[in-house]
Amino acid sequence: MISLGLVTQALLYLMTVGLVLSLLITGIRGVRGYRRRRRRRLAAPVRGLLLELLCAQDDDQEALIDRIAHTDKKTWAALEPTVAAMLGKVSGRARTALVRLYERHGSLAQAVADLRSRSAPRRGRAAQVLGRLQYRRAAPALCRLLDDRDHEVRMAAARALGRLADPLAVPHLLDSLHGARTVPPTTITAAVASMGREAWSPVAAGLGDPAPLVRAVAIEVLGVTGAIARTPELVHVLRADPDLEVRIRAARALGRLGMPEGLEPLLAAIRPGQPVALRIVAAGALGRLGAVAATRALTELLGDDRPHLAATAARALLRLGPAGETALREAADDRSDGGAAAQARAALAEAAVGGTRYDVLAEVAL
Amino acid sequence: MAHVLIADDDADIRDLVAFKLTQSGHQVAAVEDGLAALRVVRDQPLDLALLDIRMPGLSGLDVCRELRSAPGTASLPVILITARSQEGDVELGFAAGADDYIVKPFSPRELSSRVNAVLARVER
Repeated sequence: MISLGLVTQALLYLMTVGLVLSLLITGIRGVRGYRRRRRRRLAAPVRGLLLELLCAQDDDQEALIDRIAHTDKKTWAALEPTVAAMLGKVSGRARTALVRLYERHGSLAQAVADLRSRSAPRRGRAAQVLGRLQYRRAAPALCRLLDDRDHEVRMAAARALGRLADPLAVPHLLDSLHGARTVPPTTITAAVASMGREAWSPVAAGLGDPAPLVRAVAIEVLGVTGAIARTPELVHVLRADPDLEVRIRAARALGRLGMPEGLEPLLAAIRPGQPVALRIVAAGALGRLGAVAATRALTELLGDDRPHLAATAARALLRLGPAGETALREAADDRSDGGAAAQARAALAEAAVGGTRYDVLAEVAL
Repeated sequence: MAHVLIADDDADIRDLVAFKLTQSGHQVAAVEDGLAALRVVRDQPLDLALLDIRMPGLSGLDVCRELRSAPGTASLPVILITARSQEGDVELGFAAGADDYIVKPFSPRELSSRVNAVLARVER
């Protein structure tokens, strides 16, 4: 039996821990609030100058840049987060003025030097600044940081390279997906995709990489950036890649790209004998493709004994427009196949209440 | 000189827009959310409203719909501010009755031109 004294002691201990934690949280909040207010107070006199610079005529910009660049160290430290944030919020001459401000202040040169700092936060921060400034000359140094011992620094370098939009960095970004020091695929995908069509050529080269993850990311990027010119390569991957996940991504990308060349390989991918996960994604992709020629093949899937596949086919038919809807109505009225009729009725009912966001759910579920 | 409202939860954008439009000779009221925007619309005569599409609570789209549904503000010109990644919202914006939109990042000069163009269109 537990003694009353022990229970009281435990309660007292818990209350003390709770009190200490509350004080700690309040203290941290207080310190943060104080720092924020102090930073704001310090930056206030030059914040007006910064706004003036962003809105200035060309002739007035140089004098304003000089005035802001020559503020003392503490004031610059307080203002710099706003300057950095503004880089992503303004364009045109206002943005160019901010880049010149960084140069004049010496922060650009400092950031380049900080890429070799022993402090990981400094390296990460420098990568961030150079990315925001889109300072392309830092690309080789940032590529080296993709192999940094610190995970956060590697991620910051990848994001910065994405902002630089230098296609020469793509092979390095794709390489960072494997090895001892990696960068998460989502970060690489976002970075390379943000480069747009300039990156298509080096990304397509990644389709031949021996690592399935590299091929998968390359496909993802080509799909989300609308690389329709790369459809033949994606068709080849869907047909012949040895890795199932890579083929699934190729099917999804072909659906996104919406090119007629995607029809035949997607129809082949939904046939019996193919892996179920691939058949489901390919069925969804056919719907996205909007090819009426897929109506019959999708209708045949309505009676499949795997409900997930049948449901995806039903919803894909809806996406085909009147032809798909007619096929669904016929299947719904057909009493010889109860399963297919149920799937067709469910899809039609879903469409009637406006719920046609089907294949996304199906794909996520995979 | 026109009376312009800017509603944006981003203080940097709010201050920049207010600064640029004041510099261009307009009188500006700046607020940080949709509810405050509606209060200003109710309390002050306005010539134009600049609304960020994504604001916590009442969004720019919600405010735009409210303005269009009230007889007193149905014809108030509205320009929506949207991020590049949210350009899909623009269609919704026009459906809600917006007159124009500006995509972030934007140049202060472009902002001023758009505001003046919409004001000129209304005056005509």
